[in-house]
Amino acid sequence: MAVTSISVPNIPQADFKARVSQNRLLGLVRMLGGYGKTYLAANITLALGALAKTATFLLLQYFVDNVLTMPDFGRVLPMIALGFVALALVEGGFTAWSGRLASYTAEGVVQKLRNYLYDHIQRLTFTYHDRMRTGELIQRVSSDVDAIRAFFNEQAIGLGRIALLFFINFAALLWISPQLALISIICVPIVAVVSVFFFGKLEKAYEHFQEQDAVVSATLNENLTGVRVVKAFARQEYESNKFDKENWEHFQRGRKLLIMHAVYWPLTDLICGIQVVGGFFVAAIMIINGELSLGSFLAYANILGWMIQPIRNLGRIIVQVSTAMVSYQRVTEIINEDREPLTAARIHPKGAAKGEVVFEDMSFEYTKDEPVLKNVSFRVAPGTSVALMGGTGSGKTSLVSLLPRFYEYTSGRILLDGVDIKDLPREYLREQIGVVEQEPFLFSRTIRENITYGVKRQVSDDEVHAAAQAASIHETIMGFPDGYNTLVGERGVTLSGGQKQRVAIARILLKNPRILILDDSTSSVDMETESEIREALANLMADRTTFIIAHRVQSLMDADQILVFSQGEIVQRGTHDELLEEDGTYRQIYDLQARIEDELEKELSGV
Amino acid sequence: MSDYHFEEEDFQGTKVKSSTLLRILSQVRPYKWRVVAFVLSIASVSVLESTLTWLTMQIIDRGIVPGDRQALTELLTVYGAIYFVFAALVFAFIWFAGILGERVRYDMRKKLFDHLQTLSFNYFDKTPVGWVMSRVNSDTERISELVTWGIIDVTWSIVNITAATIWMLTINWQLALIVFVSIPVLIVIASWFQKRIIVEYREARKTNSKITGAYNENIQGVRVVKALGREAANLGEFSHLTDEMYRRSFRAAWLSALFMPVVQIISSIALGAIVWYGGLQAQVGGITIGGIQAFVGYVTFMLWPIQELARVYASMQQAVASAERVFSLMDEQPQIKDHVGAKDPGTLRGDIVFEDVKFHYEADKPVLRGIDVTIKAGETIALVGPTGAGKSTIVNLICRFYEPSSGRILINGTDYTQMTLHGIQSRIGMVLQTPHLFSGTIRENIRYGRLNATDDEVVAAATLAGAHDFIATLDKGYEEPVGEGGVLLSVGQKQLISLARAVLAEPEIFIMDEATSSVDTLTEALIQRGMEQLMAGRTSFVIAHRLSTIRRADRILVIDNGQITEQGSHAELLRQRGHYYRLYTQQFRSEREQAFELELEPMVS
Repeated sequence: MAVTSISVPNIPQADFKARVSQNRLLGLVRMLGGYGKTYLAANITLALGALAKTATFLLLQYFVDNVLTMPDFGRVLPMIALGFVALALVEGGFTAWSGRLASYTAEGVVQKLRNYLYDHIQRLTFTYHDRMRTGELIQRVSSDVDAIRAFFNEQAIGLGRIALLFFINFAALLWISPQLALISIICVPIVAVVSVFFFGKLEKAYEHFQEQDAVVSATLNENLTGVRVVKAFARQEYESNKFDKENWEHFQRGRKLLIMHAVYWPLTDLICGIQVVGGFFVAAIMIINGELSLGSFLAYANILGWMIQPIRNLGRIIVQVSTAMVSYQRVTEIINEDREPLTAARIHPKGAAKGEVVFEDMSFEYTKDEPVLKNVSFRVAPGTSVALMGGTGSGKTSLVSLLPRFYEYTSGRILLDGVDIKDLPREYLREQIGVVEQEPFLFSRTIRENITYGVKRQVSDDEVHAAAQAASIHETIMGFPDGYNTLVGERGVTLSGGQKQRVAIARILLKNPRILILDDSTSSVDMETESEIREALANLMADRTTFIIAHRVQSLMDADQILVFSQGEIVQRGTHDELLEEDGTYRQIYDLQARIEDELEKELSGV
Repeated sequence: MSDYHFEEEDFQGTKVKSSTLLRILSQVRPYKWRVVAFVLSIASVSVLESTLTWLTMQIIDRGIVPGDRQALTELLTVYGAIYFVFAALVFAFIWFAGILGERVRYDMRKKLFDHLQTLSFNYFDKTPVGWVMSRVNSDTERISELVTWGIIDVTWSIVNITAATIWMLTINWQLALIVFVSIPVLIVIASWFQKRIIVEYREARKTNSKITGAYNENIQGVRVVKALGREAANLGEFSHLTDEMYRRSFRAAWLSALFMPVVQIISSIALGAIVWYGGLQAQVGGITIGGIQAFVGYVTFMLWPIQELARVYASMQQAVASAERVFSLMDEQPQIKDHVGAKDPGTLRGDIVFEDVKFHYEADKPVLRGIDVTIKAGETIALVGPTGAGKSTIVNLICRFYEPSSGRILINGTDYTQMTLHGIQSRIGMVLQTPHLFSGTIRENIRYGRLNATDDEVVAAATLAGAHDFIATLDKGYEEPVGEGGVLLSVGQKQLISLARAVLAEPEIFIMDEATSSVDTLTEALIQRGMEQLMAGRTSFVIAHRLSTIRRADRILVIDNGQITEQGSHAELLRQRGHYYRLYTQQFRSEREQAFELELEPMVS
């Protein structure tokens, strides 16, 4: 029964909430969790790879200075050649292994993060979901999570790479000749500064470019979705001009980006080139003066480029790291939200509820001092029905959302079988309550999966069919080519409002709750299907405590008690017959039916 | 939400056809001098790069080893000078190729957009918007990258390998042979890796779009998830997706990480051979120290052009698949277009005659089964009947969004297929059930009806349509933005604006598809009045849902199952006690009930 995420086996999970940090960079690092050591290993293997590469050039130095001058070097020569191959193997092996460890870390962390976010979001409160737009959340769990993945897979390791290459190669140069080494790093700060400056600028220009990309896309999209209007007003040429304007602006902004690239890369090429020429000159003079060996020069010439070139990308990585930090921030905002506890409670009842519901002087507000429901008191006996009537905003929908603790009431009490629902686990309440919404949401799965969506056990085909039959939808389903395996939604069949409603009813029938909430279930349905739904609902309501929200008298006249709401308060209560005796809203609505027939009669006799 | 799988088109099995390649190249024909310029600059860059390695050899052998300071200074001056030329050429190729790439993309998008404007409804019926968007957005980008950076990478790589080869041959041909042997091996391995990597990444992206879809559905349906206590089961299902994502992307990343080291290790064998054989040669004076350095330089550098070649080759398949889809869109012929000798009718005023008009989208599913009717100039026609009966098809045929499958439609005695499309459509005004507005201001949206209308005329049209009053209450009035697709306005407001737009167009035929959804009573009354204004003195067709509209019509056509089953005035049809009578009484009841509820609302809530 009490299935929680923790007890589901084999799902890679981690508690990201415990790892959140104020400092965004630290927070990113803490996301690593148990992967920290692996990630460290990725950096160490990277360093070993780089060392092997540098050693290759030092071997070249040894080869030229010491081996070639040996009298019998023919014997040593194969050893040297093998040495080059061996170093390449070491370098390649470590570099590849480093990449493997880094992506093992990145993909592993992100898998856990994805699982965590998915579970977290479905456990956040209704209040949160009311506030957040779907698109915004999707953006964060997809693009922002991907930016975090790239941080571990590319940027953090990339920064490590630049630093390691610099220090290892610089150390090698110092070993070759301290003087030469110091001369050779003159350009490093220059290139680093230019790079950071350039990529900072580029980032802004790129954002500008991307914005225009979105504008072009939106213009096209509007044209395609509005094709009827375009054609009806014969505005093809106008549309072409409009698109051309945005498209041209896009071209201009792309051009600006390219000019920046066209300046940056040759400029840094030139800086590095001057460094190389200067270094060569000094080194050559040193050799001629006997201060440096020829082999050392060769090693130097090779190591120099290997040290300088990567620095040109420093700015790019720094910009990407700052984007990753923003993404971290945005993801953390979701993580920091509190989940609604499903199982925590003072009382854990065993077995199904009897279904007695009592509201005692209960009030509720979404925002402070704006009460939606005021001092509501009523009792519903087990297995009986109560109908809630009232205009939009009268509070009836809010009232039924309180029962499964989708929201928490503000004062008074709501009791289920004599126990305050705040003392009961939400999971228990939601198992006891079934909701048929006004516009039921179906998932893009098969019809069968939609019907069995709410049951946590294996269900036989017979049970599914019986539920569908009781919901008057079985025949319709069998009429589809794939029957119960027909997909719902874009890639399958599109169901009408009434069909969706009946699938939702079958879903609740199978769930078999003790308490039922029907939210205006026949309002958006045409005449023919309404009677079918009525029949399905009658099957559903048998023996259950039922809350019905409705506008029409026919939908609620059979209820055991009727409550008429106005501005969050109960203004009339009683059975259908009792309310007809009273002078009030209820009778006015009831009388309408008769009045309409009169009017129609008049109208028809007039022609 | 749209289908997330649109982006991932299958391109496997796409054969790289030379005709498609030629057509891709034809996209840059107008800019052939730019292409020549960037190809020449990148080729020169490539030659200079291998020359610098050769020059280093000269510096060692002629400057350093003999200790010739003058030669050294000269050589280093040349070396430095080459760097300046090199930088200039790098600037040139980025400039020429990069801007050309943007330009080609601009051109292709423009061509596609303009072409889309000519296509007929049947194309948009069968093609999802997302598909077209992907062609215009991502496919054009892939093509423009192929004709610019693709050409650059290929040119650079081939020239680099060729130039390095020539230099190596001049230095020592035996050693050069060792290098040659390794090149094909490297190319084969590199392209094997690149292909695998592309496939793995594509699979990862597919899984990623499934993950996004799962997130999307769970967030949208979160209320049901909570109500049914599905959290744990959902997480279990979702974790299968993230498992798959993990495996796919880890494989892709591991292949990528393995790729360069493998290539490097193989080339190191060539390097080892050079050191061994070169060392022996050096002893007998067959090669200098500088020469060995040059070979080491060439061999270690050769990895890059090979990697680039493999990358371009592997991504070419994808770009060609993109191109084929783009070209198929460009080649799509509009089904409805002006016939030879079609004339602008001058006016559409006059009788409209349907002569045994039949219509079907698919041959075995007739939508209209023979419509015969004459509509007098200035008449107001209400079309009523159940959903799917063919009402919308009739108005679509009048607008010539489609043409009859058989039979004729005559306007003023002339078969309308003899008229120009523009001549017909520019004289028709249309208000849709769900009004479509374009992002921009209210003024811009109204002016869409007549582009050269003055501000006063816009206001006059809005006033006539009953939209002026609500516009005046907005902060920025007519300058108020409507949001993308008009999201910032209510349905009723959108309808009033689209009425004003139609008023401004001063159409000769007016078509309206009434909204079924209820709007508040005041707006409803305004819409009714706006409609009356538009219908006065014009031939009008209304797909009617409201009784007031139906009653006001000169003639009511009851459409059922693709045929006119009843026609006549409101009173005539009621007396018949047929289909219309049933529709009318049903509508009467629900409309009155609704009206009463609206009346009740302020009291109750």
